[in-house]
Amino acid sequence: MLLNQFLFLAAVLFCIGVYGVLARRNAVLVLASIELMLNAVNINLVAFGAYRHNIAGQVFALFVITIAAAEVGVGLAIVVLIFRNRASIALDDADLMKG
Amino acid sequence: MLGFPVLTALIVLPAIGAALVVAIPRTRPEIVKVVALAVSVAVLVLACYGLYEFATGTAGFQFVSRHVWIKQWGISWHLGIDGISLFLVVLTALLFPFALAGSDAHHDVKAYTAWMLVLEAGCLGVFLALDLFLFFVFWEIVLVPMYFLIGGWGYEGRVYAALKFFIYTMTGSALMLVGILALVFIHAGHTGHLTFDLQTLAREQSFSGSTARWLFAAFAVSFAIKVPIFPLHTWLPDAHTEAPTAGSVILAGVLLKLGTYGFLRFGLYLFPKVSHDLAPLLLTLGVVGIIYGAIVAAVQRDLKRLIAYSSVAHLGFIILGTFALTTQGVQGGIIQMVNHGLSTGALFLLVGMIYERRHTREIADLGGLQKVAPVFAGVFMLVMLSSVGLPGLNGFVGEFLVLIGTFISRRWWAVVAATGVILAAVYLLWAYQRVFHGVPEGENLKFPELRWREGAVLAPVLALIVFLGVYPKPVLDRMEPSVRTLVERVDRQAGTHQPSVAQGGHR
Amino acid sequence: MIAAVAQVQPGQPLQLPHVDWVTIGPAGIFFVGGLAMLLAGVFLRRRVPRGLWSGTTVVIAVLALWPAFHLWHQIASGGARTAIADAVVVDGFSIFIDVVIISAVVMAALLTDGYLRRENLEGTEFYVLMLFSASGGMLMASANDLIVVFLGLEILSIALYTLAGFQQRREGSQEAAIKYFVLGAFSSAFFLYGIALVYGSTGSTNLGVIADFLRTNSLTNGLLLGGFALLIVGLGFKVAAVPFHMWTPDVYQGSPTPATAFMAAVAKAAGFAALLRLFVSTFNTYRLDWQPIVWALAVLSLLVGSVLAVVQTDVKRMLAYSSIAHAGYVLVGFQTASNRGVAGALFYLFAYAFMIVGSFAVVTLVSGRGDTDASLDAFRGLSSRRPALAFVFTIFLLAQTGVPLTSGFLAKFYVISAAVEAHSYALAIIAMIAAVIAAFFYLRLIVVMYMAAPAAEGEEAAPTARIPIAVGAGMSLTIAVGFTLVVGFLPASVFDFARHATLLKL
Repeated sequence: MLLNQFLFLAAVLFCIGVYGVLARRNAVLVLASIELMLNAVNINLVAFGAYRHNIAGQVFALFVITIAAAEVGVGLAIVVLIFRNRASIALDDADLMKG
Repeated sequence: MLGFPVLTALIVLPAIGAALVVAIPRTRPEIVKVVALAVSVAVLVLACYGLYEFATGTAGFQFVSRHVWIKQWGISWHLGIDGISLFLVVLTALLFPFALAGSDAHHDVKAYTAWMLVLEAGCLGVFLALDLFLFFVFWEIVLVPMYFLIGGWGYEGRVYAALKFFIYTMTGSALMLVGILALVFIHAGHTGHLTFDLQTLAREQSFSGSTARWLFAAFAVSFAIKVPIFPLHTWLPDAHTEAPTAGSVILAGVLLKLGTYGFLRFGLYLFPKVSHDLAPLLLTLGVVGIIYGAIVAAVQRDLKRLIAYSSVAHLGFIILGTFALTTQGVQGGIIQMVNHGLSTGALFLLVGMIYERRHTREIADLGGLQKVAPVFAGVFMLVMLSSVGLPGLNGFVGEFLVLIGTFISRRWWAVVAATGVILAAVYLLWAYQRVFHGVPEGENLKFPELRWREGAVLAPVLALIVFLGVYPKPVLDRMEPSVRTLVERVDRQAGTHQPSVAQGGHR
Repeated sequence: MIAAVAQVQPGQPLQLPHVDWVTIGPAGIFFVGGLAMLLAGVFLRRRVPRGLWSGTTVVIAVLALWPAFHLWHQIASGGARTAIADAVVVDGFSIFIDVVIISAVVMAALLTDGYLRRENLEGTEFYVLMLFSASGGMLMASANDLIVVFLGLEILSIALYTLAGFQQRREGSQEAAIKYFVLGAFSSAFFLYGIALVYGSTGSTNLGVIADFLRTNSLTNGLLLGGFALLIVGLGFKVAAVPFHMWTPDVYQGSPTPATAFMAAVAKAAGFAALLRLFVSTFNTYRLDWQPIVWALAVLSLLVGSVLAVVQTDVKRMLAYSSIAHAGYVLVGFQTASNRGVAGALFYLFAYAFMIVGSFAVVTLVSGRGDTDASLDAFRGLSSRRPALAFVFTIFLLAQTGVPLTSGFLAKFYVISAAVEAHSYALAIIAMIAAVIAAFFYLRLIVVMYMAAPAAEGEEAAPTARIPIAVGAGMSLTIAVGFTLVVGFLPASVFDFARHATLLKL
């Protein structure tokens, strides 16, 4: 089975996600990048599950999808809250606290 | 002996006193002092009872009280007293009522008195503990009340001095904790049972030479900071100068002794071989401390700071005596601890009185006080001569024994240290001359004479200074067996490897 | 659960595993209690007696103690076991963490009552989120499957993100929420990646199976080690270990203070529970590979946390950095991978929960309406305004410094002794040096409270406003101080509790 290709793809997607979180200022894009990271891991899980002939990987991926949905729900709620207050969703604006 | 736990009571009583003081309403500060004095005098009575019941001529621990505290860790409430700790306990019990009666807090009397009593409990705990864990607990606990006393009731630079004191001492104890734990776990690794009991650990020496060296170093740094030994002494002048009068009295009289006592009880007793091997280093540092302390004291302009530096010199003598590793030297060291507690404690109290009268400690601002306050000057003179080591007063006995003890085993160190005695005379007499001689001018003309109450507080200490100078035998008799056992133990352990040097120690 | 599902062949009816409810009793009671409160809150929106919700939360938490005790006795007589198709484990370790979390919830709930009234945020939501979050933490502690660990982590975290942003109108709180969310989700993804790699290299998500596999096979490829590293990164974020600590000061400072207290105690306990179970128990055979990493994390956390705390002027922020240093001490216990180390880490977490909730409770009271001012100046002269509060805070600070006769000293003593026993002398010494550095800023706070000089010209005068102490906050403080002192004097029973709270041997 072609395991390595999947792992490579997942790693690349994950890294793109990491880059997105670190480099993007827009909160929604940051959320999307986090989604990308989680889904990259899903590819990993499913690929390993298939490679090992083991269903646990796929089950896990389902759990992750569910949780990711919940997480993004909360995340968007927070972003909306901030937008209402400041009319901006640029993360760099949120820097009241320093030290 | 009625089975009454004297030693436990010695620690618990001041702690209860502190709780009582806290419970007194804020509006009645006058009761606070009465309660505190009553408690501390009760402690003194108990300590004297211990002194009276103490069996002279035995080396082992007496009045032992032992209760399991944390079973799985082999930690117990283990207290005991022997000839080494006996007089330090009595000294502590004596100096606390002395300090409490001799000076007043300027504000918040309640908290001040409560901290003093907590401090007393902690100090007595350190001298009585025979369990390493218990010892460490008391050792650390002492820091807190002292920190608050310096920081809360001291002079201008108090916050800085308090912080410096705390950080310095805590650094030392941090290392000591690692040392204690290493010692305990190495022992547990060899024997299979975990115990913090001092006697067991000392009996079953279960570490090799190089390990012992590291362990000793961990303990020694902590003690050396507390003493303080020469390069680690820089916290002392600040803490002493900025502390309130009672704080200085206790700091000099009792707290510094914790370090020297630690060397005897934990350094020499637990690590006899290493103590012997490293003695030259510590002796050298002791001698450097004597000379350095004396020289720096001589150039001080602040009277209190001068006495603080004189402490560095005096403590150098104690270290010298301790690491001479001869019976005379160690005995001299212990008696010098008591002497230094009495004379420096009294000196700090007198300086405190001067400050209260004149609101300055600058030597240059004072002068001619002998004319206006002859009794005060006389008392100061007596205490100062005791500090100098004049024959007939207690200081002489200690310094003489230390020098003899050192001369037996380490001749050259004794010779150099002896010059310190001369230097001490120089800086103290010079200071006396500048403060008390001459013609009083300005404010100094109105310098009030010693009051009756002050005299009553000082009288017992003055009596002891003379008594110990004339007739030190009862004290020496009681500490001799314990000291000899300790010194023989060191000789035996070290002698197996270096017989020629060890024999030099016997006489 | 997963193991059972994995064996199902196509076409056969699904065999559901037997669910032994009591094994997830504490977490279950929290979860169901939270749901019930959420519903009740909808119907009883108005006119509830004061303190009803906080009281209910406390009752729920105390109720959860009952299955915990029951299980503890079961373990004492019958030994540790796994349950629900090996998905959860019942051992002394999980019960201990449950008790830590329950204590933190009780104190935080009592504290929250007065806080919500002060901020006009009354309602059930804060408590419900706290209960959910705590149930996630408990699930993490008793998880025996990577999926359950992940579920627990997410339940814990998502509720915490919301708690951090609970003060919707205050910008600091929003900022804390978004920062915590982004970095938390980010770290969850790393954690998940780690799980995937471990799963890929061992073929199972069940911790028991993984441990067996690792014992019988020696893996040499980087997949597993990469998995370890990513798991440490993910959980390192949760417990705020350096270098994964960047979020901590901002989030601790910005969140509503009771939420900070809760977060500090519970998230740390749960994160360490997962770390200890995964590494000390499951990956024990590979400890020579992960110990150096943990060693480095411990040293960095200790030193960076202590040093950076010294320069802070905001007390909440300072406590945040000090909590990073505290994580370092727990890591010291963790690093030894010994029974004593685990017990020490547990004891530390227990003692820490009381100290930190107590400390933040004081900050809650002092910082005043809107959490506006937690600067050092707000504490100036506290001893004359509120002597009792200043005294209590002093006890917490001294306990965190590690002064004897407080639980904090024994906690440090325990982990350091574990390190010494494992011959990690260098680590023990570094930990003690960090304690000295830490003493510096704890003392600075005490100085401000007790020894503050009258304000010099140009300086702001010390605040004089009266500080109201709500009943709940008072109770919370009493519990915290009581524990800190009583355990400081008589630690034997709690030492025993920690010593018997061993991990199930896999």
